[in-house]
Amino acid sequence: MNYPVWNVPGIGAGLVVAIIATIHVLISHFAIGGGAFLAVAEFWSDRQADGERIRAWLHKFATFFLVFTTVFGAVTGVGIWFSIQLASPEATSLLIHQFVFAWATEWIVFLAELSVLYLYYYGWKTNSRSFQRFLAAAYFVIAWFSLFVINGILTFMLTPGSWTLQNHDIAGAFFNPGFWPALFIRTAVMMLIAGLGAMLVASRLHDDALKARIVSFSAKWVIPAALLVPLFGYWYWSTLPGSSIDLFQSGATGVGGGKMASINRFFWLSVISGGLIMVSTMVIALRPKALHTSAAVALMLLALFGVVGAEFFREMARKPYVIKDTLYSNALWVHDATPEQLAQPYFSASRWEPETQPLSLEHGEWVYRLQCATCHTLNGYRGLKGYTAQWTPVSGVRFLETLEAQGVMPPFQGNVDDRAALTSFLLSLDPERAIAGSDVKILYEQAQEAQQAPQAALPFVGSLLLAAERGAQGAKEGLR
Amino acid sequence: MAKKQAEIPDFAPIPEELEAHLGEPSTVTGKAARALLHRYPVWPVLKFFAHKRVPQYRHSYWYMMGGMLLFFFGIQVVTGILLMVYYQPGSPWASVNYIVNEVPYGALIRSIHHWSANLMVLTVFLHLFSTFFMKAYRRPRELTWITGLGLAGLTMLFGFSGYLLPWDELAFFAVRIGISELEKLPLLGEWAAGIARGGSDVSQETIGRFYALHVMVLPLSVMGLIGLHLLLVQIQGVSEPDGFRKLPASQRKYRNFFSDFLIAEIPVWLMMGALLVLLSALMPRELGTEADVFAAAPDGIKPEWYLLAPYQGLKLFPGSLELLGMLVMGLVPMALVVVPFIDRQIPADARGRLVTKIGVLGLIGFVLITAWGFFS
Repeated sequence: MNYPVWNVPGIGAGLVVAIIATIHVLISHFAIGGGAFLAVAEFWSDRQADGERIRAWLHKFATFFLVFTTVFGAVTGVGIWFSIQLASPEATSLLIHQFVFAWATEWIVFLAELSVLYLYYYGWKTNSRSFQRFLAAAYFVIAWFSLFVINGILTFMLTPGSWTLQNHDIAGAFFNPGFWPALFIRTAVMMLIAGLGAMLVASRLHDDALKARIVSFSAKWVIPAALLVPLFGYWYWSTLPGSSIDLFQSGATGVGGGKMASINRFFWLSVISGGLIMVSTMVIALRPKALHTSAAVALMLLALFGVVGAEFFREMARKPYVIKDTLYSNALWVHDATPEQLAQPYFSASRWEPETQPLSLEHGEWVYRLQCATCHTLNGYRGLKGYTAQWTPVSGVRFLETLEAQGVMPPFQGNVDDRAALTSFLLSLDPERAIAGSDVKILYEQAQEAQQAPQAALPFVGSLLLAAERGAQGAKEGLR
Repeated sequence: MAKKQAEIPDFAPIPEELEAHLGEPSTVTGKAARALLHRYPVWPVLKFFAHKRVPQYRHSYWYMMGGMLLFFFGIQVVTGILLMVYYQPGSPWASVNYIVNEVPYGALIRSIHHWSANLMVLTVFLHLFSTFFMKAYRRPRELTWITGLGLAGLTMLFGFSGYLLPWDELAFFAVRIGISELEKLPLLGEWAAGIARGGSDVSQETIGRFYALHVMVLPLSVMGLIGLHLLLVQIQGVSEPDGFRKLPASQRKYRNFFSDFLIAEIPVWLMMGALLVLLSALMPRELGTEADVFAAAPDGIKPEWYLLAPYQGLKLFPGSLELLGMLVMGLVPMALVVVPFIDRQIPADARGRLVTKIGVLGLIGFVLITAWGFFS
């Protein structure tokens, strides 16, 4: 960890990024799908006898669309940059430096997208019909291209493909195994969200007949997309690394202190939300004039929950990495995670060396802030007080020793002092279990000695078995 | 064909006004509907349901609270049955631990049951306060209001009885404190507490009682009372607030409950269903360590948030004033029961407006005391 400055009590840096990002995902998908909706609705209105009435409604939709996507989309987009560079400066830096041209393209595309949208919206009365249709279609194509670019970078983080830190294979990184299925999923999802956004605007109409027509038209954007997402999802699933599937499967049972795979629950959140969007839309399509604004808002919230489920799933599938197999989520580079380097006193390896007494509570707190706080809080989301409720001084130090064996955690960086200091800090969150770091260390060392003592007296066969077990462990690690 | 059937004496004729709703006689659904209605002439029942309509104005979403409660209750029944498959009152903590750690999706189902209970209680409050401030309790709906209050009470009892069943530390001590408050009541307090506990202290005996209450007595009572409550609403129709009544007839807009309003409600319910999964994914209900009857109560044991107001309120009456405090706490539900008989004028008169003001103060007090209890 480079910069231990951002401490968000209760929520944690990761969840702040997630909250901003999921809202941004909903809005940005609407910003693209809504462009397709505008373009198709332009053509549709031209074929209707009362095209002017429909276009009057379309103008309302465009107003909502413009304000909603440009204001909230831009704010949350910038918010993502602010939060990720604080939560994970190393990963942000890596993404910027590896994908310089992609970001430059994205910036230009974004500028073009906004310009075309303004031309379309503010030329509503003056532009010719054919030019309006052209602008709407152009907006959609440009906006979709911005998705194309960002999708390459996002999917890279989980499935970097042939890219490594050494070979800089950017084409392989961009067109990675997850690229195409994710692009198709997102394209279907944005059509779905566009339909829901149109239903939201249409729900305000007082003319029941017109409302029913527009709601029926909008529902046709939702239902096919909702059917396509599982298909593309299956394709995406087939590109996931085995470690992600294992993590998912281990999450069917257990919770919190058990098997730690909330990825499973978030997967089901997205599946259930998607299914419920489809059921709700079909119910409304039976009687489109009955669509009430509260129902339309509920549908939008369902879409948000679906996005939360899917994006959390995607993020959690990478555990314990932020860039798969390259950078751990707490900014430890995989190439730095050698047994020798990991065993160094932690602060000597860290770029920041806080002045603390060894084994003091401050020592433990700094280890927490530098190594844990990217993902954990003390007493809130993924709160360590709850997770360590069953810890004893000895079991705590031992747990940290083999942290990476959890599958979802990076290896611990530091020596016995660092582990004892962190254990003491975490146990002291509960005043009844408070214990000094030096005492934790003594207890741990006594336990280690007691464990080793009978081994020395083991008969010959026993020690052979022990050696065989250690050999097997070593072989396993070698395989890894 | 239809003519031939009508000649058979057992076959009821279909009223003409109904024909329009049944669709074309040549379609499958049209045929099925006619065949069923000939055999089972439930037309008056359908008509009885069809007349309910919901006034349309800016705040008509408040009318969704009752339906949402029914949805949460349904979720509770379904997830409750699933939990019952594995729950054993004889070894409560171990069986819940098994549900949480071994049963596939057991932890998820339990979390959904927990969150649905909380949102159900929250919705009870919203339903109660919205009905109160719309003054829907006034003549002729006194009995509907009282059955609603009964349902609110039963919901709290549901929460309280379910809270003990996992038999972890938190459950044990929270229920022990709750019952000891009950014990302090004059006259019947000790007797009632003894019955609730099945002894002088909360023990495994208590589990059996709370379990029977939670999975049998309360569900049956609630279902019966919901039936009555809905029947009364159906007979009298939905109440209209004074502001809406004042509007000229041309501006008063309504929607039929079946199916327009119901169709708008369904996405809201389903969204709530997904919200339960979201909350369960983000904040799964954890299981504490097994209750130790002889252990000292850990710090910070409090009842669930919806019981905090009376719990914390009692702290305003220290020592010998506690009895007075209980009296004051007991007056709140009493006042709610008698309010339809005090505030009767439509549109509201000075007394009605006073009741509203007292209600606002009561709501603010309730929120403040709950917050005080939560953060203290």
